[in-house]
Order: sequence, then C-alpha cells, then structure tokens
Amino acid sequence: MAAIQVKADVAGSVWQITTKVGQKIEAGETIMIIESMKMEIPVIAEQDGTIDKFMVDEKTAISEGQVLAVLTR
Amino acid sequence: MSDDWSAEVEELRLRRRDAMALGGAEAVAKHHERGRLTIRERVTRLVDTDSFKEVGTLTGQGRYDGATLKGVTPAPYVMGLASIDGRPVAVGGEDFTIRGGSSWSGDRKKGGQGGFIEDLAASYRIPLVNLIDGSGGSVTSINKRGHSIFPGVHGFERSVELLGKVPVVSAVLGTAAGGPAGRAILSHWSVMVDGTSHVFAAGPPVVERSLGQKIGKEDLGGTQIAVDLAGTIDNRVDSEEACFAELRRFLSYMPSNVWEAPPEVACTDPVDRCDEELLSTVPKDRRKPYNMRKLIGHIVDNGSVFEIQPTYGKALITCLARMNGKVVGIVANNPMVYGGAMDVKAARKQIHFVEMCDCFHIPLIFLVDVPGFMVGRDAEAAATLRDGMRAVYVGLQATVPTYTVVIRKCYGMAGMGTTEKNGLEFKIAWPSAEWGSLPIEGGVAAAFRRELANAPDAKAREREIEAELRAMASPFRTAEAFGVEEIVDPRETRPYLCRFIDAAQARIRTSLGPKAKYGVRP
Repeated sequence: MAAIQVKADVAGSVWQITTKVGQKIEAGETIMIIESMKMEIPVIAEQDGTIDKFMVDEKTAISEGQVLAVLTR
Repeated sequence: MSDDWSAEVEELRLRRRDAMALGGAEAVAKHHERGRLTIRERVTRLVDTDSFKEVGTLTGQGRYDGATLKGVTPAPYVMGLASIDGRPVAVGGEDFTIRGGSSWSGDRKKGGQGGFIEDLAASYRIPLVNLIDGSGGSVTSINKRGHSIFPGVHGFERSVELLGKVPVVSAVLGTAAGGPAGRAILSHWSVMVDGTSHVFAAGPPVVERSLGQKIGKEDLGGTQIAVDLAGTIDNRVDSEEACFAELRRFLSYMPSNVWEAPPEVACTDPVDRCDEELLSTVPKDRRKPYNMRKLIGHIVDNGSVFEIQPTYGKALITCLARMNGKVVGIVANNPMVYGGAMDVKAARKQIHFVEMCDCFHIPLIFLVDVPGFMVGRDAEAAATLRDGMRAVYVGLQATVPTYTVVIRKCYGMAGMGTTEKNGLEFKIAWPSAEWGSLPIEGGVAAAFRRELANAPDAKAREREIEAELRAMASPFRTAEAFGVEEIVDPRETRPYLCRFIDAAQARIRTSLGPKAKYGVRP
C-alpha cells in the first residue's frame, strides 16, 4: 500500500477538517479547508485514496509545504 | 593524374561513419540503459521527418598513423538546420556518450554556448532548440592547453542577444551542470524530464567538497527541486517523447522571430460562445475561492491552453492560448493559492511571462483577482516587495496590446501592474469586481483607529463601517465615472475580447521588431 502525503500549497491555519480517518476519497475531493489571506482555501486530493491519518488539527498554524494528511491507496 | 575523387569520397564516408557511431556501441548502450536517447535519436524524434541537415558532422579529434587516418572521435555536440511544423529551426545538443558531453573547442565552436548553431539562429532569424545533456567544462582542458581559460571566452553574449530576437527553447535531457545549466536558463521556455534530468550549478562531488554536504543528484537538481520548488526550469514531463511534443507545442505559439507576427490558426470554436457557467463561477461569499483554470477554459479557444510553469508560483497562472485563432498570453491570479496574492514566486513568474509575450508581440489578457502583494514575515524576508515591484515595472514597460479583465479583487500595487499604461489602458470588469488601494476589511481597523477606540462595541462599529464603504465600492459607480471602460456580463467575455483582439492585429502587424530596453529594473 502506497502512502501519499498531502501537502499545503499555502501557509495559514487549518479552518475545518471536512473528512474522517478511514474515509475513502476520490481525486478532486476536498480533504480540509485552510484559512489563508482571509480566504477559505480547500485542500484537494490529487489522487484517489483512503485517509490514513491527519498530521494537523483544526486551528493548527501551518506553513507552505507542510504535510497535512497521509492517504493510502 | 586522374580526375577521380573516389578515394577522398571514401575517406568522407569513413569519417561520417565514425561520426554516426557517436561514443561507440558500448557507450550508446549504456546511455540507453539509463533511459535516455542519443542526441541524433532526439533530433530525429523532435523535428519534421527527414528535415535535419547536419552541420559539422566531421568535427572531432582525428587519430593518424603517419598520414593515414585511423579514426575520428567526434566532437560531443551535434547540430544543424531542421524544421518543425514546416518552419525552419536551428537545433543542437550535447552528445553525452562522448566524455559526458563536456565542452570541446576546435577553430570554431559548434554550439552549446554560442557557436555556429546560435549564429545560425541569429543570422537566419529562426528559433533555437537546445537539447541539453552535458556537464560543461572539465579541468582536464588545462592539461591539453597548458593554461586555464578565462570564464566567458566562449561566452553567453550570443545567447543573450537571441533572447530579444528569436524564440529560444531548452530541454534538459540528462545532467546539466555549469555552462549547459546556465545555457538552459537563457531561454524563453525550458523543460526537463522526471527521473532522468538534473540541473544544477555544480553536481554532488563539488557540493561535497565545498560544503561537506552529501546529496544525491535527484535531491540536488531533480524536477521537484528545479521545477516545482525553484522555478529554475519551467515545465516538467514524464518522458523524452513528451518533452519533444511539448517543445513543438510551445513553438507553435511563437513567431519565427520578433520581426514576424505570432502564427494565426483557423479557429473552429465559435467566437460568440457564451458559456453559462461563467454566470455563477465567482462565489458571492468573498471568502470562497473558485477554479480560475476552468474560467480560462470558458473564455479562450477550445483546447488552446498551454500552461507555463504550472507547478511553480501557484498563486498565479500563466498560459499561452488562442482567441479566434490569434495567440494571446493569459496572466491570471489563482484565488485557490493565497487568495491570488502575489508572492515572490508569482512575481518572478509574471515578470518572465510578460516580458516574453511583449517581446514576441503576443497580446496579454490579465484575469485579475489579486488582493495585493503577499504579506507576513516570510513574504517580507523573501523580498516579495522588490520582486513584486519588478513585476509592476515590467508590466508598465510593456507595449503590446493588453486587456485587463477584473474578475474579483484588484487591489494595491499588484493591481497596478495589470493595465496597459503605454496604450489604451482598457479595463473591463465583471459585476463581481472590486478595487481600491487595499481591501476594505484590511483597511478599516487602521484608517478608523480613533473612532473604533471610542466606540462602545468596536467590532460592531468596524463591521458597520465596512458595510458602508462596500456599498460605495460597487463597480457600477466606478463605471459611471468611466474609471473602468466597460462592465461585461461574464458570459460575454469571450466575444467581447475576441472582437478587440481581432481589431488589434493591425497595430501588432505595424509595430513588429525588437523592443527597446531602457532603465534599470528595481
């Protein structure tokens, strides 16, 4: 099973985690929402997979490139 | 004495045979094992069938027994004239199978850093394609010459000149270090291949000796570093075949030189296509972003988008595209990344793209949704302000027809760089547009500090003031004052722009040639 790291395109803070560990998601689906520059920016899955774990909590301040979640496929 | 030249022609045949053998069967097999094509295979796959006419085939190091030729080690660079989509191009590249494609000097260089191939591109005013696979100079040349050479004896002056005259494209197809790496950067567009291409100023042995840092080629200059993180090379592809297809595609948008207009193609997509989705693309909730790439697709000719640097500086989208068959350059802020704010990477990306389009007389369309320059300590430490102002400076120097379409936000200094100050300054807005020196929600706290300090409920008063100001910030009020020239129904953006871009062709045809450069970029 390959692990896929989901990384942040932007610095900001985690606004809302909209998925759950164990949830199957498809490419294009929103995993969580980051608040950055007063905008709600969705973190979108680039590949299909199952959410293995989150590396951040809601309200966590994050930096660009930080790993937010790990998917398995 | 007989007039028969058969013996000499036989010698020519033998010399050509040696040249075609490159570094020999063993070296070629090793090169193939690494997943790479030889330079002649690369040229053949890139250009129109049977169009390659090689120059300098016999150049190399002859081995003699007295006066008898024993063989020739070819110079590790192959080049000549070819055509792509029926248009002539100068094409050349290092032969890695001979001494790793390191540089070679005869009476005259073939290419790689100046040389005949760059002279050909300059003299005939045709595009130059560099197929780069070499590591530049070697210290062994000191042994050969008995002295070391001064940097730039075979310099980049011609390469620099070409950037203002003909399209220059570079593909990094192996390891490019030193001079060849620098050559790749002196291009209008560059591309490299995942896994098999690497580019750096100096490779792992030099890094270890200089810094004590042990690092592999992939971590030092693979596509993730050179393309995604650094933007050193523009685009990445997954195979050499894909690379050649992308090179041909890029050149299809380019004129052969700055004295010609960009190539027009027949358009099968209706000019009056008004896509219904555009009416609901921009969310009413100002905190919600939308998909700018989809928006671009609704406006330009179907299938015409060629994105430049898609994985670098993601707060900005730059692409070549067509409108009614005419080439345009699209510069669009991406609200999905930093709300479209201009960070240092977006600024660098915009600078190169705007200069390139201006150079080749490709009209620019700015699809504006920019809240300003990126803010915060990291952004300041990265010199966002300086590179951001460079983007503004370059935009204000451009003389190509430019269309400003404000989709949502147009604020501050970043917003200033999106209009055609040397021409019509034609600004079109969607009803969702808003503008100003800074976004209202960011500015109220500072501008009304005293009033807010004295208010019984400061937060509530702040929101009230914001609402009052926002009501006056309607784009229709600015249109009343002719502060923007037109507000369009989003669905009508394509027909409206196509009409003006068609009409601007006369201006483009009558202002061709090199662009004068002046001033000092800040």
